[in-house]
Amino acid sequence: MFWIVRILSILAVVGLCFGIQAFALSQTLVAPRLFALTGLYVTLAVSLNLINGITGQFSIGHAAFYQIGAVVAGFLSVRFFADQPLAGPVWLMAMGVVGGLAASLAGLAVGLPSLRLRGDYLAIVTLGFGEIIRIIVLNTDAVGASYGLNVKPKLQFIWMIWLLAALCIAVSRNLLKTVWGLAFLGVREDEIASNAMGVNVTKIKVMAFILGSAFAGAAGAMLAHYEGFINPSMFSMDLSFIVLTMVVLGGSGSITGSVLAAIALFLLPEFLRSAPPVTGSALVAGALSTAVSVAALRWVTHHVHGETRRKVLAYGAGLAGSVTLFLLLRLLLGNVPSLAGISFEASKLRMVIFAATLIILMMLRPQGVFAHHEFSWKWVGRLFGRTNAGVKA
Amino acid sequence: MEFGSIALASLDFGTLPQQLVNGLLLGAIYALVALGYTMVYGVLRLINFAHGEVFMLGAYAALFVSWRLGFSEAGLVSNPNLASSALNLVLMLLVSMTTGAIVGVLIEFFAYRPLRNEPRIAALITAIGVSLLLQYGGALILPNSPQPSIDERINPYRSAVVLQLKGADAHFEGDIQQAQGKYDIAKTAFDTALTREKAQFGIDSEFDLRDQSPRKTVQAAESDLKRLQSEKESSEVRVVIPQGQLIMLITSLGLMLILRWLVMKTKVGRNMRAVAHDFDTASLMGINVNRVISFTFFIGSALAGAGAMMNATFLGTPLDTFYGVKLGVKAFVAAVLGGIGNIPGAVLGGLVMGVAETLVVWAGYSSYRDAIALVILIVVLLFRPGGLLGSSKVEKV
Amino acid sequence: MRLIDEMSGIMQMRSWRWAMVAVAATAILSVGCKPAGEAGGTTPAANPTAEAGGTPTAAVRPAVTAKGNEAAGDTIKLGIVGSMGGDLRPWGVDSVDGAKLAVKEFNELGGLNGKKVELLVEDSNSRPEQGKSAAEKLIQDGAIGVMGEVASGITIQIAQSAFDKGIPVVAIGATRDDISDVGNNFFRVCYTDSFQGPVMAKFAFDELSLKNIALMTDKSQPYSTGLSDSFRKKFEALGGTIADEQFYQSKETQFGGQLTNLKAKNPDGIFLSGYFTEVGQIARQAREAGIKATFLGGDGWDSQKLLTIGGDAILGGFFCNHYNNTEARPEVKSFMDKWSKEYGNTPGTTMGALGYDAATLMLDALKRATAANSAALIVALEDTTDFKSVTGSITLKGRNGNPAKRALVVEVKKPTGQVARKSYEFDQVMQ
Repeated sequence: MFWIVRILSILAVVGLCFGIQAFALSQTLVAPRLFALTGLYVTLAVSLNLINGITGQFSIGHAAFYQIGAVVAGFLSVRFFADQPLAGPVWLMAMGVVGGLAASLAGLAVGLPSLRLRGDYLAIVTLGFGEIIRIIVLNTDAVGASYGLNVKPKLQFIWMIWLLAALCIAVSRNLLKTVWGLAFLGVREDEIASNAMGVNVTKIKVMAFILGSAFAGAAGAMLAHYEGFINPSMFSMDLSFIVLTMVVLGGSGSITGSVLAAIALFLLPEFLRSAPPVTGSALVAGALSTAVSVAALRWVTHHVHGETRRKVLAYGAGLAGSVTLFLLLRLLLGNVPSLAGISFEASKLRMVIFAATLIILMMLRPQGVFAHHEFSWKWVGRLFGRTNAGVKA
Repeated sequence: MEFGSIALASLDFGTLPQQLVNGLLLGAIYALVALGYTMVYGVLRLINFAHGEVFMLGAYAALFVSWRLGFSEAGLVSNPNLASSALNLVLMLLVSMTTGAIVGVLIEFFAYRPLRNEPRIAALITAIGVSLLLQYGGALILPNSPQPSIDERINPYRSAVVLQLKGADAHFEGDIQQAQGKYDIAKTAFDTALTREKAQFGIDSEFDLRDQSPRKTVQAAESDLKRLQSEKESSEVRVVIPQGQLIMLITSLGLMLILRWLVMKTKVGRNMRAVAHDFDTASLMGINVNRVISFTFFIGSALAGAGAMMNATFLGTPLDTFYGVKLGVKAFVAAVLGGIGNIPGAVLGGLVMGVAETLVVWAGYSSYRDAIALVILIVVLLFRPGGLLGSSKVEKV
Repeated sequence: MRLIDEMSGIMQMRSWRWAMVAVAATAILSVGCKPAGEAGGTTPAANPTAEAGGTPTAAVRPAVTAKGNEAAGDTIKLGIVGSMGGDLRPWGVDSVDGAKLAVKEFNELGGLNGKKVELLVEDSNSRPEQGKSAAEKLIQDGAIGVMGEVASGITIQIAQSAFDKGIPVVAIGATRDDISDVGNNFFRVCYTDSFQGPVMAKFAFDELSLKNIALMTDKSQPYSTGLSDSFRKKFEALGGTIADEQFYQSKETQFGGQLTNLKAKNPDGIFLSGYFTEVGQIARQAREAGIKATFLGGDGWDSQKLLTIGGDAILGGFFCNHYNNTEARPEVKSFMDKWSKEYGNTPGTTMGALGYDAATLMLDALKRATAANSAALIVALEDTTDFKSVTGSITLKGRNGNPAKRALVVEVKKPTGQVARKSYEFDQVMQ
């Protein structure tokens, strides 16, 4: 039974990937790209979650692994694809593996020295490492230096991207079900205690880096072949911060959270592109009302206790209040000519919204939306009324 | 970059003293900013990612003051001979420091204080968020593109101080005199020819001269003269320090000394050290921890503002809201290098970084100058996880 | 697993940490080296370097195979990619304004047999990958031809995407030679770096009698590296010597180290082949360091900001430009009139005129084309002979997309910023 379920699940997932590709291609010309990039971001977020959320290591240089995978795979394709017999998809899979291997070597390089460093130091080392990689690539003519690398051939297999994402999710989740996985969680919770319990903390940390970076590298290989062009400026510090936001928003340690946050945080700014320009007054009104509502909601979190209903009411009131405040302020400020006159393109607000998301999240719910919860079939079952426990809490 | 073609022998040791001085000047700026990072980390154990943006805002404040003083583009068009004085510079410095201080305190109050009791990672992520918010939010409001820069004329000290360590070779005196003589003759001939042709043929400039030979002669003579002068300078061992950068160095050192006095000899400083040592015990001893922390941010950010003003004014770097990012990372690396939480360590780290970066450029690998800082950091942390002046003990339970 | 066990144990030992550092250093250093063979893979063309970029090269450009776009309905769509944000904004805005002016003029004169031309504008934000998606969006929206961009790094991506889709590209200010090798759909209205460099070399050697020049190259900009190369070749061929070459990256602000190295070689001129933002600062810092050499450069200097950033230091420098607002040619005069009538000022950079030229060229080709579609447009563009544009006469026939334009060397002087000094026709410099 076990094996039948397993094999069916795997087939279902593979089928789902092809289904995503078919759906994506049936949409307008731009949409397939969105689907592809979303899949890549999901992989990035889940792989970072493995390092940050599950193992508790604060790594903020994830773009480096992404870049290494992309550059290595791109370079090899340009050099060798024409002369070798493998078909496109197989070659891409091979490149994914190669990209992942290259990136995991880098992950090893970052992981080993950082063992002795505490969280903050590790953060800066990983950030620095990301920059070092970017600078090295920027100065290596063989991979295009500042010009960028044109990757030929363009292998655009959306199903493979999502298969990689599914693989990443599966590995993360199954890892947590093994004894190994508990060790990862143990290292996150209390390194010293785990060490005392006999866990080889060093090994766990290094494993986390290797796994996380391998998936990021494989994703990078996919990116290089999908876009057909990679350039060092695509892998800046900002990209690392964006992926970090996705993990933090979803909830460090929650794979489901990372997946959903990645999808949401990637697609939202894309819709912003076609949004109308935001006037200065709306922007200021938005900023002010956000600040006030964050303060208000924090007060609610700290001072309103008791029944869920009361809390929900309080939160609801807070939210309603902030929306009203926003509309009011926008109306008021609309009369100020210097503010109403200027307008900002919605797409420019993308990073501002990301930054604000990070701050608001930390103020209100630092554990992320999903905290440590995961999606599970049991939860679905509970929704439909099938519980194991018969007693209501 | 061809490694094979760059051998150690091709390094020009004659320029080394100048490069070392360049490095120290650069390091002074890094040190000023690193001090802010290290002080905040000392009391809060928090990497203040937003410190780079405090730096950036300080620079913009200096820019706006310079505009107010009449040195904007429009102002200089209407008043091209506007003279400046040291007073202008002092004013800009004070405004930058105040702006930096205020911004720093506000950030602490609104973004970090509410998270005092949360896990440290929350504050860290908030710091990243504030940093990004200031960068991209600022890009919406502040003049960003094309990048504005502080006009050099607001700095009345634009000549250079020259230190001669070794005199020029003797023969140059005579050679230059000769060349000067030849040049004077050629120039007179050229000027006469130019005036004549202007009157006769109505030409506009020397480029249109019908008879180019006087021009060629004077050019050859001028080039000989300049070459001799340049060779003379090369044969000396001299260090040229632009006055503006010297002012920068002196001001930075002065501020660091004031800081040291503040931290070591005053009550406030003692409180700061107490909070850095043990947060809870300090508060039990009656120290108003909140106030001390605000004051730490105040001082650290004021220093960053000062560094920003000097960087923007004396070096004339174009500003945009991402101005503080690179420098912020480097200054933070400097702070960690010296031992984070350690004030002399920040200064040492800053100077080491400045010198290392300049030496990398001297050796010919200028493309890697940003990477060298990070490489040094990683190497140092491998052997001394606490930084150069920090403790090398591994935490034991 | 066991391996990592042992490795982590070993890691605790000091000596192994030293070994790791050594290994890492060697790895990094070897990666930084150029490989023994050709640095391959950056462009798809068979021969990326074009020695004489302006003259017809022996290598034939790849022909477009995709179908391209067809003008449907009553409007003909043309696209333009411009840097409306980022560092190249002044040039991007000017180029788009120039193109808009040309299209407006064309429509007012009746359009193409009554059909109006619509100009679609997309922002590249001064970034190559955004330029690429901007071009793709324009093509997707039905543009039968695309104009842009002002920088080589962005333009090559546009050319590549357009080649894949069969759309002609008329570049506005991109001067790097090897972009033409992308395909036969690529044309430009400006000269190339393989011309610009030799012009400055000849000017420096002949007019200023400079014999020993140092190069300051922006390693992160393909424009700058290409320009420095072509300058070096010609200058050495004329008999001059290159004292030294130092590198920097865009956005750098401290050049003391590189300048100290340069000064020790006693150059009488310094060729600053990068963009104006850094050039201005380099000039300032050079003068502060006591360097008295003459400054020379390419069209990357062309900006009103150069004077602000460079201050007194940059005055007396010379650079190579496409044309000058004060020229007496009738095309220039009428262009200046039209521009001031439409926008109420004078174009700040030469990209205004070049944008106008790119658009008028495209529109002229549209008139000559057998049909309103991309394929016919490519043929018509290729056939262009002696098209009288604001910046000079443009002939594209048989020239691989690179016209034999003339260049104007200008001196940086207040208050206008540029005073024309010497013009060079193509054949004067390229033999």
